[in-house]
Amino acid sequence: MSVMTNQLSAEEQKLKEAYFTASQGQLIWQRFKKNKSALIGAWVLILLIFSGVFAPFLTPYDPTISGRDKEYLNGAPQIPSFCDDNGCSLRPFIYSFERTRSIKTNFRWVTTISTDLEARRYVQFFTTGVKYTYLKFEINLPGKALDFTIPGFTFDTHLFGVDKDYIHIFGTDSTGKDIYSRTLTAINTSLAVGTIGVFIAFVMALAIGGVAGYYGGLLDSVLQMITDTVKTIPSIPLFMALAAFIPDEWSAEARFLFISMVLGLIGWPTLARRVRTHLLTERNQEYILAAQLSGASAGHIIRKHLLPSFTSYIIVDLVISFPYMVLSETALSFIGLGLKDPVNSLGVMLQNVTSADVLLNYQWYFIPVFFFIALVLAFVFVGDGLRDAADPYGGHN
Amino acid sequence: MLQFSKFVAIRAFLAIFTLVLVSFIVFSLMELVPGDCAERYVAFKSSQGTVITMADIQVERVRLGLDRPYLERWGKWIFNAFQGEYGDSCILRLNISQLLGQKFWLSLGLCLSALLLAYAIAIPVGILAATSKNAFLNNSLRLVSYLGLALPNFLLALMIMLFSTVYFGDSLTGLFSKQFRDAPWSYDKVLDFLGHAWLPIFILGWSATAFAIQTVRALMSDEIGKLYVTAAEARGVSGAKLLMRYPARHALSPIVNSLGFDLNRIFNELPIVALILTLTEAGSLLIDALARSNDQQLAGAIIFMLTAAIVAINFVTDIILALTDPRVRRGIVG
Repeated sequence: MSVMTNQLSAEEQKLKEAYFTASQGQLIWQRFKKNKSALIGAWVLILLIFSGVFAPFLTPYDPTISGRDKEYLNGAPQIPSFCDDNGCSLRPFIYSFERTRSIKTNFRWVTTISTDLEARRYVQFFTTGVKYTYLKFEINLPGKALDFTIPGFTFDTHLFGVDKDYIHIFGTDSTGKDIYSRTLTAINTSLAVGTIGVFIAFVMALAIGGVAGYYGGLLDSVLQMITDTVKTIPSIPLFMALAAFIPDEWSAEARFLFISMVLGLIGWPTLARRVRTHLLTERNQEYILAAQLSGASAGHIIRKHLLPSFTSYIIVDLVISFPYMVLSETALSFIGLGLKDPVNSLGVMLQNVTSADVLLNYQWYFIPVFFFIALVLAFVFVGDGLRDAADPYGGHN
Repeated sequence: MLQFSKFVAIRAFLAIFTLVLVSFIVFSLMELVPGDCAERYVAFKSSQGTVITMADIQVERVRLGLDRPYLERWGKWIFNAFQGEYGDSCILRLNISQLLGQKFWLSLGLCLSALLLAYAIAIPVGILAATSKNAFLNNSLRLVSYLGLALPNFLLALMIMLFSTVYFGDSLTGLFSKQFRDAPWSYDKVLDFLGHAWLPIFILGWSATAFAIQTVRALMSDEIGKLYVTAAEARGVSGAKLLMRYPARHALSPIVNSLGFDLNRIFNELPIVALILTLTEAGSLLIDALARSNDQQLAGAIIFMLTAAIVAINFVTDIILALTDPRVRRGIVG
């Protein structure tokens, strides 16, 4: 009996020891795991990031105009099924269709689905299709000799497709582009825009907030005033004003880079303020005084002592500010000032949906909206979960 | 009293300083846009069949004062802007203040109503959420506030349009019915306006409400556990009287302070919501100015006016806060 109690207490002892010797990262992970909604959010987020990154593999067709299906404009989603009146099949299939337009149909395209056995299109897996490349870099320096290209890896396998013609599980838009392929590519774009934007905002916030918080005094007051002023201007009108500078002849890729930078250049004030507040409280701590007395330079103290003291907070702030970047980009592209075809993003995809024709007849244009709500919600849940987990005083209740 | 007027003076100075800084940013942005007014005017003449030369552009520049130094022109712009005069839009060739006039006040009215709506909902609901132990209520409120972030106003507007078109066959757009659009204000027109305005106000207030509920709830939860509340309870105060008289008063004062930023958030969404709901009377002028015609004078004027409205709200809320809470005035005067 007494042996058992000893064993138990030894185990408890071990747990206790593990708790006291755990690094901050381990502690945060422990607390994060207990939060159900944050964990679900994290899984959804991983899934979405995964589908964004591997979009070329997961989607059957090229999301740009070159992947269009000329025969199926504004086509409804085609849901694969296993059974119909002609019997069942282990391999899921969709129907072929015939499109006609005549005076009888009031000159609108009318789709007649043929349910014949021969007209079935069977879904195939790991089909060969349009080529896509990962890790390809082209560097164009002035002078021919300095140009070089890293070829990367090219693949042409796609997760699924059909044996003849096309399959569109989310339908097609007015030019026949596959909405499913576009949605996944758009997730990719949004993640890229968000990453660049957050990175730029982060660097600026660290520089401005860091200087203001570390030196304090007059410099702090002046920087605070500028930060507050930038915060006062409504950001989307300001985005619009900045985005309006983009000359029309810029390529879609250049626009993409510029928009991401603009998002970052306007998004820094909130982050800068947090960095400043934190530094203001930390810089009066004794360990900073000790470092100063030992003759450490300002840069050394900021990098080696102050930054590590709030890395976890910064990571949390970055995760939380991510969805704002994505949403701003969407809003901007939606009104036609942000990204443009052939770059895909949710905003680009939603550009023409306000017409009565789309609202009444082609509601599948709105399918991508749900993916984006999921993406933003996942970020918010994970961000909130991380914030609670990173707060060492919050976990006890 | 002296302390109070000192506080007002400092705040007024800060507000004006912010506006000057904003005007500098806005003016610089306007200057950065390629092509100036002189080129536009002359280009217009050229499209009318007149043959023009570089010298003509130069003459036009001198006439418009565009050859003056940068700072001088900025000074002139800001001086006029404070008097509500923004010059002419060189694309539309119309006076900007006349063009904006009623539209701006209409937009501001929409945004302020949205703000009012947000807090009219958020304050009681937030207080209720902070005091109630009901898990279902708390969880559903959490979900609503998350949705407020994840479903931004313009997506909400799109979704509402989608559903109303599919189920009611009416897209619920516009601010006035056809027959009232250009009519002078009358009792019927006001009624018609209210019949249309509720939807944009609801949509604009949507995110703000979700955020406000979160804030009220957090502030209230912080206050409610404090000792002075327990002390009041021990003296026999209870129920709504206890809440309103003790924790709510303290919890709500930071909110007054953040009204300006809430208005900022609502203004943010206005142009896009206006575009979706085709509110030609509000907000969409900014999109026209930027996206379609690159009209920097108009865009600059609108952004400046929006910011001025926010700064004004910030100023007023600061004064209100100082009137009700002596700690605030002492905090800034020192």
